[in-house]
Amino acid sequence: MFFKSGKKNGFEGGGLVLFESVEEAMGGERALKAAEIENRLVAPPPELRRGCDLALEINLVEKPAVERALQERKASFLDILPMRGDAELLQVVKVTDFGEAVMVKAGNMKLTFDKASGVVLNISGGGCPDIPYLHAEMLGLPLEQAPRPKALGRTLCALMLDRAYEQSLEIRKNGNG
Amino acid sequence: MLLVCGTAPLKTLPLTEGDARLDGDLLRIGSAEVPCTQGTAALVSAACKTLEYLDQPPPRVLLAGDDGSGKGSRQLYERLIADLPRLAPRVLLLHYMLPIMGLMRRVSESASKAPRRPFMIADAAAMYAAKAAGIAREFDLFTPDLSELAFLADPQATHPAYVSRHLFEWDSSRIPEMVAAAYASGSAARTLVVKGATDHIAQDGRILDTLSEPDVPALEAIGGTGDTISGMVGALVHAGYGEVTAARIAVRANRTAGLYAGATPATRIRQVIEALPRVFADHLDEWARQAQVERAERSAS
Repeated sequence: MFFKSGKKNGFEGGGLVLFESVEEAMGGERALKAAEIENRLVAPPPELRRGCDLALEINLVEKPAVERALQERKASFLDILPMRGDAELLQVVKVTDFGEAVMVKAGNMKLTFDKASGVVLNISGGGCPDIPYLHAEMLGLPLEQAPRPKALGRTLCALMLDRAYEQSLEIRKNGNG
Repeated sequence: MLLVCGTAPLKTLPLTEGDARLDGDLLRIGSAEVPCTQGTAALVSAACKTLEYLDQPPPRVLLAGDDGSGKGSRQLYERLIADLPRLAPRVLLLHYMLPIMGLMRRVSESASKAPRRPFMIADAAAMYAAKAAGIAREFDLFTPDLSELAFLADPQATHPAYVSRHLFEWDSSRIPEMVAAAYASGSAARTLVVKGATDHIAQDGRILDTLSEPDVPALEAIGGTGDTISGMVGALVHAGYGEVTAARIAVRANRTAGLYAGATPATRIRQVIEALPRVFADHLDEWARQAQVERAERSAS
């Protein structure tokens, strides 16, 4: 049961931030409000309850931005989970070797880099608005010098791109690039 | 009118509405100048090239700057909710915007208040929002890639990042199963154009066609090659082609443009888009005629 309905203004987030105590939940709400991230206080369903019976509903797509806002404002939280479905973010990646270039795919995101130079050649896939932004910021730079998607991005697409980026760095480090 | 709605990676770009014109590497919409890169800019650029070749008016575009904060996306949603009945586009193409389920529901409701509901296409996160909000069936066409099809096939997932691992691990040989699952759970638009090594076109739960030639593997790596397909489909439907014919032509044109551009993993999307007029000049009439023949044969059988 929800404490209040935010659906009148179109907000329906699909994600929950869980807290140890009511005090922490209130602090989390203040932190997200300060960061201008839409949220509302709700009661988590019993199957997702980990700490107190107060949680914040957020737009799950904004998980990285929510995490960052809470951490920057030192607001403690237990976890951020989808309200339904698989609780775990996709961990698997797929790698395609194009000969001179390698494409790493994580979820819906693909990052392609040049084997010899490590330069980011292309970023494809995704659909959230920070992806064209990250595309513009990262293309043409060596992986090691490119900004980290997780640091600049705000959405789950950016998080998947970060997975692809991490794996690309790993491939380079292992000399397979 | 073909109305395209999406975001651009320009933090300061206000909500902008206007006819789009491709000028070299720049897309001009009203007084805004947007580089032709991956995302909605690539989609609009491909639509511009297609409509120009067909001697049709340019696409109308609603564009807002958004770096992921969602502010520009919310402006887009609000404008659509308020103005869709008045704008009354023949084809509405929704693209890069922060997926907000409740607002997407209201956009669809607003579209129904137009004198005639637009032909509704969603790609990128607009498609994620439509599926997550449970209104996929209210759309006429989605253009997912393989990982996005897995997301449509997973009834619980609200974003492709939370797709069940087994679905993500399925390769393209399992596309028919994923298509069936997406339709069975009400998570597919009436027509699906599944982009990949082999493109699949499905309608009402049935796969109608697969296309895999010319084979240009590097296209998968190039940011924007899915966007161009969506842009071409929207333009062709607007120009009067049936959606299945439009899909067939778009995926073939995309592949052939990749071939003409000599695509490598380092190719930029604007190079693929620049090849489109030559592709249309060489093949469009033939592909349209083939599609007519195939449709007649299907009807007869």
